[in-house]
Amino acid sequence: MTLLDAPHNTPLRIVDLAGGESVRRRLMAMGFHKDDLVELDGQAILRGPVLVRSCRSDTTVALGRGVAQKVLVEPVHEPS
Amino acid sequence: MSRPEVPAVIFIGQPNGGKSTLFNSIAGPKAETSNFPGTSIKHTHSRVNIEGRLLDVIDLPGTYSLCTTDPAEQIVLSHLFAERPDLVVNVVDASTLSRGLELTLELVELGYPMVVALNMMDVAERKGVQIDTAAVERLLGVPVVATIAAHGRGVKELLDRAFAALEKGQNARARRFSDDVEEQVAEVEKSLPAGFPIVSNPRFTAVKLIETAGHACGDFLGEVAPGLKAAVDRVRRTIEERRGAPAYEVISAERHHQAMKLAEETSRVLHGQRLTWDKRVDAVLMHPVLGYVILAAVFLAFFFIIFKVGSPLESLLLGPFNKLKAVLAVRLGDGLVFYLAEGLIQGVGGGVAIVLPYFLPLLFLMAALEDLGYLARAGFLLDAFMHRIGLHGKSVSPFILGFGCNVPAIVATRILESHRDRILTSVLIPFIPCSARTTIILALVAFYLGPLWAMGFYAANILIVAVIGWIISLFLKEPSPGLILEIPSLKAPRIVSILRKTWMQVYAFVKFAWPILIGGSLVLSLLSYFRADRWINDVLAPLVVKGLGLPHELGVTLVFGFLRKELSLIMMLQALGVDYQNLMTVISREQLVVFTVFISFFIPCLSTCAILWKEIGRKWALVSTGLSITVALALSWLVRLVL
Repeated sequence: MTLLDAPHNTPLRIVDLAGGESVRRRLMAMGFHKDDLVELDGQAILRGPVLVRSCRSDTTVALGRGVAQKVLVEPVHEPS
Repeated sequence: MSRPEVPAVIFIGQPNGGKSTLFNSIAGPKAETSNFPGTSIKHTHSRVNIEGRLLDVIDLPGTYSLCTTDPAEQIVLSHLFAERPDLVVNVVDASTLSRGLELTLELVELGYPMVVALNMMDVAERKGVQIDTAAVERLLGVPVVATIAAHGRGVKELLDRAFAALEKGQNARARRFSDDVEEQVAEVEKSLPAGFPIVSNPRFTAVKLIETAGHACGDFLGEVAPGLKAAVDRVRRTIEERRGAPAYEVISAERHHQAMKLAEETSRVLHGQRLTWDKRVDAVLMHPVLGYVILAAVFLAFFFIIFKVGSPLESLLLGPFNKLKAVLAVRLGDGLVFYLAEGLIQGVGGGVAIVLPYFLPLLFLMAALEDLGYLARAGFLLDAFMHRIGLHGKSVSPFILGFGCNVPAIVATRILESHRDRILTSVLIPFIPCSARTTIILALVAFYLGPLWAMGFYAANILIVAVIGWIISLFLKEPSPGLILEIPSLKAPRIVSILRKTWMQVYAFVKFAWPILIGGSLVLSLLSYFRADRWINDVLAPLVVKGLGLPHELGVTLVFGFLRKELSLIMMLQALGVDYQNLMTVISREQLVVFTVFISFFIPCLSTCAILWKEIGRKWALVSTGLSITVALALSWLVRLVL
């Protein structure tokens, strides 16, 4: 699923970064790579951007919907 | 090894890492700061004297990596690669250690003598992250100092270690990537022809050749070193085949994992001590409903403060200029000298009366909002609206700046990484009513027709900007790359840093725009001395009188107003030969609105045209000018028909 369909406030693993080279490069420069754990923190109104937090480095990035739908994720079930 | 010349020390770090704060606490009070607006957004060279030793310290704009496609960040690369610094001070945000280390590792690969400042240790501690600084130092192989720049903590030690590193001039040694990647890097290294411009060391040069977008020097590489180009292409293919991902991604991931491992080995997260207040505040600030209420309140307060501060200050400042003019009128009579002196005084006066009262508070508040971290949040909240006009949230802050003055707003579009977004934002900014035009709207519309009219005028203006944006974006085939914007953690703004930012912007503005303001003012004075204004009015009469239904005398004011927009109101009163209180005896309410509409949308000012030309090129500057003429004519004519 893409970040747009993913559940909020639960750890997600990045399965793939789709999209063009420049978007992928920017995402990677900002510390988002395949296999990283992220969490959705919030969303703006009117099909606005989503807030994505990288669990490892605790940085938060706002991704526009166009970008967010290029980030493919899967939910991770935390070992309890 | 001590060098005879002054050593150059570069400050580099990711955005929002407190780099400038650290730079200030070292260079701030002792520095002769100068700003080079042509070369970067903020790029400061300062010569400082620390305990009797001279240093040239350079504060580079924040960058996420050394492999960037972002125009603002590329400044960093050209500086770092072209001018070999004697020391690199890498400022890392300790509270986001893992990501910060990715740039650090890249700098270690670069291999210049360096010192790492693990900054914002207090924020890291509040987040419940404990970092073993000594362990980071041991693993990285370069000196690492924990600092809290905002409180000046660790700065002394950082300087001591920096001087020690300068003395020794030792180079850091890069960590190795996985063997299969390292093998390929060596392959490119071997293919570097003699005399190839090596950046720092062959390995770094090879890595950058592999991972940089396209080819590092474009087609040039193919012509100069066809063998090397072939080797790079081959290596990229090999890596991609083996790893199933493009070479740039593989190398970036290698560093990413090195950084994560390093962070894991050197820091531990204490049980769940999250920054709860911070999260809670953010939940409100970016709330789908409350967030917008707060946003609206912030901006209303913002404009209220600017105009509350601005308008009394303006009259205070203009007073002496008007007196001076009156004195000169008596002394110099009515000759050419007087006209020139008048033009000069009005040019300088206009500059002072715009910059100090409105622009200064605006820049100050903008810097405060930026340091607080609110601008990024505003960008997040407004992204959806910006999408409607073919842009995204990052354009929000240049637009806001545009309400103060279009010139720095257009410069600020450099933060946009896509050329298309930059063009569109820059072309739209001239339609945003800057403080000069807001003064006119307030003086004419609010004063004579009432505040509701003025608010309506403003709202309509913003709507028109949106419509123009939407129309232009239909013609730009390339889609916008979309929003990728870091939301930094909220910080209490520091007055020193705000003042410094404000000063640098004002300085750049004065240097660029004042000569143009004064020049334009002189031209207008000459026009009226040679009585050319009458001719121009006659020529423009069909348009002004027949088309727009305005008095014959206003031709020059309308068309040449752009030479001295901030004085359009005074020009209008002079042209009509009345004073402000009696304005309504010579023109009607409808004419007043038509006039204001035309002035608001017509070419904003000469400085704006010049900065557009400089920033986005002649073609787009001309498009912008043509567009504003068309829009101004069409709208004011429409308004005339409707009213």
